[in-house]
Amino acid sequence: MAAPTAYVESVGRTAVTSVSAVGRAGFLGVDALRALRKASLWGPHLLGQMARVGVDSVPIALFIATFTGIVLALQASYTFTGAVPLYFVGALVGKTMILELGPVLTGLALSGRVGANIAAEIGTMRVTEQIDALETLAYDPVAYLIVPRILAGAIMFPMIVVLANAIGILAGLGASLALLDLSALQFMRGVRLFFEPFDVRFSMIKAMTFGITVTSVGCAFGYQTRGGAEGVGRSTTRAVVISSMIILVLDAFWAAVLLR
Amino acid sequence: MSRGREFLVGLVIIVAVAVAVVGTLWLQGTNFGRPTRTVEALMLSAGQLDEGNPVTYRGVRIGTVASITVEPSGDAIRVTMLLTDPVELPPDPAVVLGPESLFGDWQAEIVSVARFPRFSFYDVPPDASTSAGVPGPLLGGYALPEITRLTASAEQISGNLADLTDRLELTFNDETAANLTAAIGNVEAITEDLRALVEQQSAVAASITANADSALLEVEQAAIAARRSFDRVDGLLADEQIDSIVTNMRVASAGIRDLAADLSDPEDGLAVTLDRADSALARVDRIAARLEAGEGSLGRLLTDSTLAVRTEEVLRSLDFLLQDVRENPGRYVRLSIF
Repeated sequence: MAAPTAYVESVGRTAVTSVSAVGRAGFLGVDALRALRKASLWGPHLLGQMARVGVDSVPIALFIATFTGIVLALQASYTFTGAVPLYFVGALVGKTMILELGPVLTGLALSGRVGANIAAEIGTMRVTEQIDALETLAYDPVAYLIVPRILAGAIMFPMIVVLANAIGILAGLGASLALLDLSALQFMRGVRLFFEPFDVRFSMIKAMTFGITVTSVGCAFGYQTRGGAEGVGRSTTRAVVISSMIILVLDAFWAAVLLR
Repeated sequence: MSRGREFLVGLVIIVAVAVAVVGTLWLQGTNFGRPTRTVEALMLSAGQLDEGNPVTYRGVRIGTVASITVEPSGDAIRVTMLLTDPVELPPDPAVVLGPESLFGDWQAEIVSVARFPRFSFYDVPPDASTSAGVPGPLLGGYALPEITRLTASAEQISGNLADLTDRLELTFNDETAANLTAAIGNVEAITEDLRALVEQQSAVAASITANADSALLEVEQAAIAARRSFDRVDGLLADEQIDSIVTNMRVASAGIRDLAADLSDPEDGLAVTLDRADSALARVDRIAARLEAGEGSLGRLLTDSTLAVRTEEVLRSLDFLLQDVRENPGRYVRLSIF
């Protein structure tokens, strides 16, 4: 049986570890900002990271958006029946996809795919001392490994979200045509009814912050990986969980800041 | 990195940007290169109208609201509308701002002023002009009351009703209810009285009606009699008896005229008679004066009471004598044969 002091020691250790991790992540962020000046290091790798983070993530993002749009249309029709004109299905699908579900679901999905991938990749490089080798060769590992990934996430996440929004709305339109007594003109009338150009900007701002979050958290947990393969798995899991939580917090933050 | 991967990255970025830009413009209702024209309207309020809201004509969307600005003078707002459909506006066009639906945004509807004579459209000054570079017409506009104003009015009305209800509650207490019950009883009694009165009046009216019927019958009979009289008159006129009557009347009138002439004759007329009567009356007047003065036997008899008393005494003595003679005739009459 553990001594009572062991629990207190555990709490203290956890607190110190968490604060240390946040501190290291802060230092890492500052290093990343400084590393932006070293474009010769991160520039050649940016396009490749954009392909991995963005292009490779398009299928899963569009798949999620498609079924989200279909479900939204059907649920809206189910809710509005007999009470609200059916063309409001288009309004709900468009507004919900652009403002909320497009960025958030895409961000959550890519936090699992992209964030875990980055954390595992960099964590493996850490435990196999490849990062130490870069430092030995006078390469800035932050500029070489982290900056291109974060920039790729900041650039490509909004692109993916725009495509996801469009596909989600089109999927809702298809579902309305196929399954509901609603014409394409009626559906698009509903989409246009409450549409504001700001909605697109809001969606892209959220997507950009989600991209930065997912890649930064993945990079931070991978960069601080300790303990071999087990540590890599732990860092990957934590990166996905933490980035998902931060995405939801940011979602509420931007809604409170930009939609009030 | 292979060129294929680079191409994919570029393609994703281009497609995403194109979707974002074109989709935003399309959802905004932007007209992609089609010919447009601009129409401006002045009005006092924009209500809930916003840029990008639809412009309709006879219920059909023909454009969008391009901009809403406040006039420099501050006494009106200017709504600039971009019309995409080449429709011909009514001869007296105006703009009505109102809700597009119960849930949606507002819209600007181009209407004919004659259709909405009650709306107080903004009176566009003659010297008002459209914005620079806008060749279209400048219309007057009117914004329907917002739902918030209607709600505020309804709230005020409900408040007034609440006050009224409170006052009614204060006024309508038990005593009022008792008075109201008594009043209702009185009304009921009055109603009964009125009913009896009406029944009575109905009976009177029936009698009057019957009398009127008999009167009408009599009038009818009188009319018949009058008709007969008129017939007789007509007969008389036809028999020329009236002519003889008129002739007789004319003769009688002549006689009367002659009599009047005789009476007015100075030789032997009414004036002579009156003179004689006047002299006779003067003579009587003189005799009366002498009687009053006690002249003559009759005068003294009238004026001197002694004579009258002695005459009365003589008459009384004579009466006594006659009575004694009647009772004792032998005292005064002596019959002797021998």
